Amino acid sequence: MAANTVSEIVKIKRKIYIELAKQVLNNKIDERIDKIPNKIAKEDGDRYRCCVHKERAIMGERIKLALGFDPQSHKDETPADLLKREGEEDCCSNIVNVIELACDSCPIDKYTVTDSCRNCVAHKCVNVCPVDAIVTIQNKAFIDQKKCIECGRCSQVCPYGAIHENIRPCVRACSVDALTSNSERKAKIDYSKCVDCGSCIQACPFGAISDSTDLVNVCRTIIDQDKKMTVLLAPSFVGQFGAKIQPEVIKSALKEIDFDDVVEVGLGADMVALEEGDELKEKIAEDDFLLSSCCPSFKKTIDKHFPILNQKVSKTVSPMVKIAQKIKETTDHKTVFIGPCVSKKAESCNYSSVDYVLTFEELLCIIVASNMNLANYEQKEKMNDSSAHGRQFAYSGGLSAVMLDLLGDKIDVIKGDGLDQCMDLLEKIMEDEIKLDFMEGMACQGGCAGGPANLNKTQVTKKLVEIFAKKAENKKADQNEKTA
Amino acid sequence: MSNIKVEICIGTPCYLMGARELIDEMQKIKKEYKDKIELKSLHCIEERCEKAPIVKVNGEIYEEVTYDKLQKVVKEKLARL
Repeated sequence: MAANTVSEIVKIKRKIYIELAKQVLNNKIDERIDKIPNKIAKEDGDRYRCCVHKERAIMGERIKLALGFDPQSHKDETPADLLKREGEEDCCSNIVNVIELACDSCPIDKYTVTDSCRNCVAHKCVNVCPVDAIVTIQNKAFIDQKKCIECGRCSQVCPYGAIHENIRPCVRACSVDALTSNSERKAKIDYSKCVDCGSCIQACPFGAISDSTDLVNVCRTIIDQDKKMTVLLAPSFVGQFGAKIQPEVIKSALKEIDFDDVVEVGLGADMVALEEGDELKEKIAEDDFLLSSCCPSFKKTIDKHFPILNQKVSKTVSPMVKIAQKIKETTDHKTVFIGPCVSKKAESCNYSSVDYVLTFEELLCIIVASNMNLANYEQKEKMNDSSAHGRQFAYSGGLSAVMLDLLGDKIDVIKGDGLDQCMDLLEKIMEDEIKLDFMEGMACQGGCAGGPANLNKTQVTKKLVEIFAKKAENKKADQNEKTA
Repeated sequence: MSNIKVEICIGTPCYLMGARELIDEMQKIKKEYKDKIELKSLHCIEERCEKAPIVKVNGEIYEEVTYDKLQKVVKEKLARL
């Protein structure tokens, strides 16, 4: 999930979000909402689907998601209808949704014979097939899809590589086998398996899978004079708003567009480091081990796919929840977490302390809708909430380095970098094949810096975060007085 | 020798619509043609943000620029040098 290219799909989504934010902020959303698709998809504009009507219909579905409603359950309602149902949003049930109208029903025949087949004499494919699904018709091998059990042996033995393995991009991207298809061959998410990592959203070239968003509700809160709101910036925020935009500028600019305060989630990470460190000490004393709890998709993977290991997961809440709880102790502010993560949207539903979650992309759409240009903005406000430790949580290896730093080098630490590696390690733990004291599990490759909603390359983000961490006044979490 | 001056807006609306990738790609072309291309970033180009990303090539303004479009414009100008 490194460099997220700004494809046409991404641009359309951003245009819709900017327009929605603009209309809410200008108090004109009620009259304008149903006109947004027509404004963005012009009759004479570029076309990616069969006709402008389909393009607009899909935009309508995206707007429903942006309002927090599942488009599938609200097929017959227009965005304007749903706008009136504020407070009844169903975004907390499922964060990752299929927009059926946009799904191209990619072929699901897993193995097909291509024109490279030479109808050779050895016909290894026919011989190797355990269910006799391959015959030769008209000088070419043919797979009877009714018989095929998708074992893949034919594809492996063909000397011409003529048997093509066809996997839907969404299915290929999913590490937990949560993607299937319904009777109309549209993608379908098995929510009993899904861990909200967001990989399928990025993978689908038709933009048919998307996450719901709090964008509209955050904008409503911005214009509500009676409500105050604190922005919680995830540690990976550095460089996300433009590589040259300094953290101090972001803080000042966000306050100018009417957010009331801006706090580093790194402070929450400092608090988590201390609490989880104490937990780890206890576990080590009991000759037991601890699994990290800050990545909600990793936690969900354990819960849904390795439930026996649930009791090994740290009881400490995530940095997001920690900092939100701290804000709620002393203020009556609403809290909005901003990060590179889809999974945090689902996590926030379990904690009343986190009111909203947005991605960097969604916040930038609000910034653009507010006519703020960060490149021209020069005011600065100091950021000094987190120690270097808390800031390091942004990338894979950061959390385990902090644990080693706090507890000494004598502990056995392993890192799961990306969901596949996490699953692999968890399996080995189940089989007693690894000795460990602590496991850091990050569902995204590169850690949060590689999250699905990142606007920068993983390596660039990591570098910028490292520079920012070096600037922290306190080096270690236990030196940071703000954690008290 | 006349140069080709490419100015890419990196204001927030253009950044959100892919300006950074345009810069990355232009830098690759620049390596190939060295001093023939001058690459600059600007903070806003005539407030045409609705049509982001905006790029100026030799003073001429292009709207809703994609990498393909930009590459075509630059290569055409290179051919005429």
